[in-house]
Amino acid sequence: MNATLFRKEIKSNWILLVIFLGVLSVYSVMITMMFDPKLGDSLRMMADSMPQMFAAFGMADVGTTLLEFVTGYLYGILLIAFPGVYIIILTNRLVAKYVDNGSMAYLLAVPDKRRKIVLTQGIFLLLTLVLMTAYCTVLILAVGKMLFPGEMDTAGFLRVNAGLLGLLVFFGGACFCASCICNESKNSSAISTAVVVYSILVQMISQAGEKFENVKYATPLTLFDVDGLSAGDGKAWLMAAVLYLAGILLMGTGILRFCKRDLPL
Amino acid sequence: MDVIEINHITKDYGQKRGVFDVCFSVKEGEVLGFLGPNGAGKTTTIRQLMGFIKPDSGSLSILGRDCFREAGRIQESLGYLPGEIAFIDSMSGMEFIRFVGKMKKMKNLGRAEELMDMFELNPSGKLKKMSKGMKQKIGIVCAFMNPAADTFILDEPTGGLDPLMQNRFVELILSEKKRGKTILMSSHMFEEIERTCDRAAIIRKGKLVAVEEMEKLKEGRKKIIEVTFREAAMAEAFAAEVPKASYQIGGKRVTAEVGKNLDSFIKKAGAYTVVDLELRTQSLEEFFMHFYGEGAEQ
Repeated sequence: MNATLFRKEIKSNWILLVIFLGVLSVYSVMITMMFDPKLGDSLRMMADSMPQMFAAFGMADVGTTLLEFVTGYLYGILLIAFPGVYIIILTNRLVAKYVDNGSMAYLLAVPDKRRKIVLTQGIFLLLTLVLMTAYCTVLILAVGKMLFPGEMDTAGFLRVNAGLLGLLVFFGGACFCASCICNESKNSSAISTAVVVYSILVQMISQAGEKFENVKYATPLTLFDVDGLSAGDGKAWLMAAVLYLAGILLMGTGILRFCKRDLPL
Repeated sequence: MDVIEINHITKDYGQKRGVFDVCFSVKEGEVLGFLGPNGAGKTTTIRQLMGFIKPDSGSLSILGRDCFREAGRIQESLGYLPGEIAFIDSMSGMEFIRFVGKMKKMKNLGRAEELMDMFELNPSGKLKKMSKGMKQKIGIVCAFMNPAADTFILDEPTGGLDPLMQNRFVELILSEKKRGKTILMSSHMFEEIERTCDRAAIIRKGKLVAVEEMEKLKEGRKKIIEVTFREAAMAEAFAAEVPKASYQIGGKRVTAEVGKNLDSFIKKAGAYTVVDLELRTQSLEEFFMHFYGEGAEQ
């Protein structure tokens, strides 16, 4: 890893990270605070009034425990879509943008291998994803502990977050790969956006009604099994492992391709 | 010893763009001009030397190391000035110079400060707001500031510089040459190369036309002189004396190509009353035609 470049990326991207952490904080805290059996009833009434809409957002049968409530409302879409957008923006900035505007020439005109430079960018991405997941986990746990002491199944919640990180690593890997293989940053953004939006959209369709249930096999989001992870189900662990593995493989593919290919600098 | 070796490289981009079977080398301590019109393949060759792109066939090496596979090692002792200056726009000039210095693992910026003084550069502003000339100066500082560098690859180094700064640049090249550094610089202007280089490699439409000693090229280069006389009769008489002079009947102006016969040309013109004299050097294209004859067209 190139420490100078890593520091440069921290300096260039911390604002982006803070903005997304801010947005995630608002939702995490709000939803967690809303946990209240009575308020839960009114939310459920709302859900009953437009079941398809709630189902599409993965908020169909939100349970009664704090864990079920939080994961039901946050881990269905909010904590996937917002980090997804963050990943699209960041991955594009980390590689494709430098190639597109030509400044990659300066990053490569250094006594380091190409691999080391692009690996630094990949590590930066992964570390911010870990940071983002850890931040949300700690924040929700803290708010839960403060307002509803003893209500949270901490172990189950940590398992769900381990799964969430797997999903973000997968998105990160896919988008990073796109960033590595594209000469123009607009192509990189287009592919990344397509991957994230497609995945989320297909999941929403699959949840909207039984007719479309089988569509769920066409989205990687299915591999993030919130209920299974909450329960500590072995199959859910396996699926999460597939997400991690696929993400790392995609990232590796991007890095290898970047090292071998012609760059328009 | 050859420091930079380019061995029969071909990089075909289709539609006759790219470089085809280009082969030349730069010796240790030599300044070699890489001369050719826009789009001739200069930058394509330099990109391959930098390891940004791979040749379809052939090989390139710097100090015996393969330019693509061992680019990282080569960079330890290489200074590079890109033809299209692209910095990280969010930084200020000084931040960028510091960043590049750290990326190159340099211990201090002493040499960079010397260069900034030399080019009267104040790099404190944002790069985004800088003029082309300012950016070019920053590029030059970044290329030359590493004391560990002993080979330089410069792609159109004087683009955007005013004549005064172009002169400073020539001084810089000459002083680096004195220190024994090896330099490859590309240009589409003969004058720029003329003042600094020992030899020139000339490329045209992706193919290497020639690698010649600078002295020989200078000899082959003609100047076009346009002399205006006081009277038409003088012009007529003068035109008759000078070979290959063009003259319009009744006009007062004589145009001629002058090479080695400059002295006799001037002395002959001196016999009449000269009202005006204009001097133009051949463009690179004209030069090719003269140096290599019409055959250069193929």
